[in-house]
Amino acid sequence: MGALDLSIFSLGSLFIFLLPILYISRYLKLGINKSIIFSMGRMCLQLSFVGLYLEFLFKLDSPWLNGIYLLMMISIACYSILKSSRLKIRLFFKPLFLAILIPFTIILLFFNGMVVRIDNLFEAKYLIPIGGMLLGNCLRTIIIGLTNFYSGLKKNEKEYLYSLSLFNNRIQALKPWFRESIVAAITPTLASMATIGLVSLPGMMTGQILGGSIPIVAIKYQIAIMICIFYTEYFSVILSILFSLKKGFNSFDVLNTDIFQKDYS
Amino acid sequence: MISFESISLDIDDAQIFSGLNLYVNENEKFLIQGRSGMGKTSLLRLILGFEQPKSGHITINGLPLDKTNIYQIRKQIFYLSQDIDLKDEIIIRLLTEILEYNFPSEPPLKKINNHLTFLELPQGILQKRTRDISGGERQRIGLLIGLLLDRPIWLLDEPTSSLDDAMKEKISAHVLSLNKTIVIISHDPVWKNNSKVTIKRWS
Repeated sequence: MGALDLSIFSLGSLFIFLLPILYISRYLKLGINKSIIFSMGRMCLQLSFVGLYLEFLFKLDSPWLNGIYLLMMISIACYSILKSSRLKIRLFFKPLFLAILIPFTIILLFFNGMVVRIDNLFEAKYLIPIGGMLLGNCLRTIIIGLTNFYSGLKKNEKEYLYSLSLFNNRIQALKPWFRESIVAAITPTLASMATIGLVSLPGMMTGQILGGSIPIVAIKYQIAIMICIFYTEYFSVILSILFSLKKGFNSFDVLNTDIFQKDYS
Repeated sequence: MISFESISLDIDDAQIFSGLNLYVNENEKFLIQGRSGMGKTSLLRLILGFEQPKSGHITINGLPLDKTNIYQIRKQIFYLSQDIDLKDEIIIRLLTEILEYNFPSEPPLKKINNHLTFLELPQGILQKRTRDISGGERQRIGLLIGLLLDRPIWLLDEPTSSLDDAMKEKISAHVLSLNKTIVIISHDPVWKNNSKVTIKRWS
């Protein structure tokens, strides 16, 4: 069982279609040929590297190494979230790391232990791909959440301060921005859960079916993973905003001005 | 009650004022006048801890304004900002939230109606959103919140600018008769034509 292997030559045959694309873009002066080649090249390179690395990781299957690999993935996720949210990495890395680590670990281990019921909770075959799916989805959610929260506050700072004067409590005064950013962050996932299966078959299911699982098993995994993604996103976005507050505000509860990356104005 | 000792304030590296000394006694009605852009609003923001002075000491009701006292200090202050920056919400819901939060045991919701009559606002305004009412109505809703909260120190930034003359008279007379320490920034002559007021001309 398992999908047929692809030879390097047959994989390479896919690049035939790149020729007309490059030609058309050039003819239409789209000016994106460089980016097309760059992006495709990076994708191939990164995935080949991960493939080699995963093969090594799966063969060794050391819980410690797998755990460290996940921590590294979280670190990269934090870095890229803060870069996209234009928040200073120096200030927010630690709180964000914790905000992801806590729900991520709980949900992932629950999935492995209670749902799939594997004996070794840190088994690479489950831990790493599932962990990657959870993280990949959290990335987008947290970016939306943090960006909404801090840019909204910056834009409406007077309104926040006025609420602060009326309620004399930071959390109470921040509630409208909390609500707004959490809802904005979670909505895309809710929408995709509501339409899943109608429009597209999710990648995980496709992979499992190709890998030889019968559809009903693939579906069960898909349902489980969607639920886990939603839970992880939900908790990590709330925690990432909560944990960021200490750095985001000064001791008088006023928004710090130097939390944004330099090019933000 | 409020004391500034040689306060200097910079905002974005530009000096707003320096070496400012100021004393407001308990129950005093203190009117600040001066051209716009001189930092009058910043003065109120300093009292609330929204801005930090570059140097000098601020004391409110005997408490030095610092991070350990800021909660105690803000609890005593009602602030009416120039644009009355209320969040967008249906007014009665906002009032209920504010009152339930500030008076958890018994929110004085019944008092709303008395104040509405005094401020000549219709009952129906409570069902509107804060963004959908006129400037004059917003100012009176702001004052309504102040009357309901009943805190001992009031900081009012242009509180009567959008009101008609009769209303300016009525409200200024009432505010000045309150048993509170009140700092007012206003260009309206109604405030200074009152013998109860200490006038500080800013230059």
